Amino acid sequence: MKWATRAGVHIDRAACAWLIRTHIDPEAEFVFVDDRTAVPADATPFDMRGAELGHHQGDCSFETILRRYELHDPVLWKIAEIVHEADLADERYDAPEGPGLDVILRGLSMTCDDEQVLAIGGSIFDGLYEYQRRAVLLNRTPG
Amino acid sequence: MRNAGRWVLLSYRMPREPSQPRIAVWRKLERLGVARLGDGLIALPAGDRSREQLDWIAEEVVDNGGAAMIWIASPGDIAQERAVIDGMRAARAAEYRAVMEQAATVPADEAERTRLIRRLRAELRRITDRDHFAPAEREAARIAVQELAEKDVTVRERA
Repeated sequence: MKWATRAGVHIDRAACAWLIRTHIDPEAEFVFVDDRTAVPADATPFDMRGAELGHHQGDCSFETILRRYELHDPVLWKIAEIVHEADLADERYDAPEGPGLDVILRGLSMTCDDEQVLAIGGSIFDGLYEYQRRAVLLNRTPG
Repeated sequence: MRNAGRWVLLSYRMPREPSQPRIAVWRKLERLGVARLGDGLIALPAGDRSREQLDWIAEEVVDNGGAAMIWIASPGDIAQERAVIDGMRAARAAEYRAVMEQAATVPADEAERTRLIRRLRAELRRITDRDHFAPAEREAARIAVQELAEKDVTVRERA
């Protein structure tokens, strides 16, 4: 399937692309556009204004996708809190990892193109998922 | 002389009732440190982050039955832009001064001191995030909170 999002990928879009690839569509192909009118007809837009998979009712796009695809994995919801605070910093959740993750992804977006941000971001989220998975399983700080 | 900069403008209108979504949008704009140019017209210096933040607020306005437009603009003259920037800088300076005042009173109780330091650091971070034209007070406030924290460490080491 084709998925479209805004060019200049940052935290929420990198996290959504990782989520789509790992939990929704392993064959996902991503298109980056500068304007919402440029979304190809056969692509599902995400993290864009006017898209179903965007920010709604105070949720960031990552949370919207979790709800829409009914992904109930508690580890994903823990990551959702971090992504929410990294993206919106509205203190809805206690996720001190958020500001750090925001800086890392913002820095990447300055030195890498969108494809590279998705590739490196993918590895970062793989690691984050494993860490949070162990935290949930062990019920304590892993490591 | 600096050239006039580029700004992101959000013009929006929301239904008067219910008031809750209107207030939520107002609060979000305050948190971003926007300049209010007129009724339902706000501005932030252009940038990927400010553009994106205003995009999502525009979406929220529309989701709640309002109308919103985003424009990229440059000011018609430099004096006018300078007045807007001065206003934004003065608003942040006042917030930094409030932090400095709180950092000046050192609570005797250790737990209370630690809480104060934590709260002021979080507050500083929030102000800095919406501070687009750093006034001198920014560094002064940072130093005031850091000194409070260092005093706290010294007191604890002595104990």
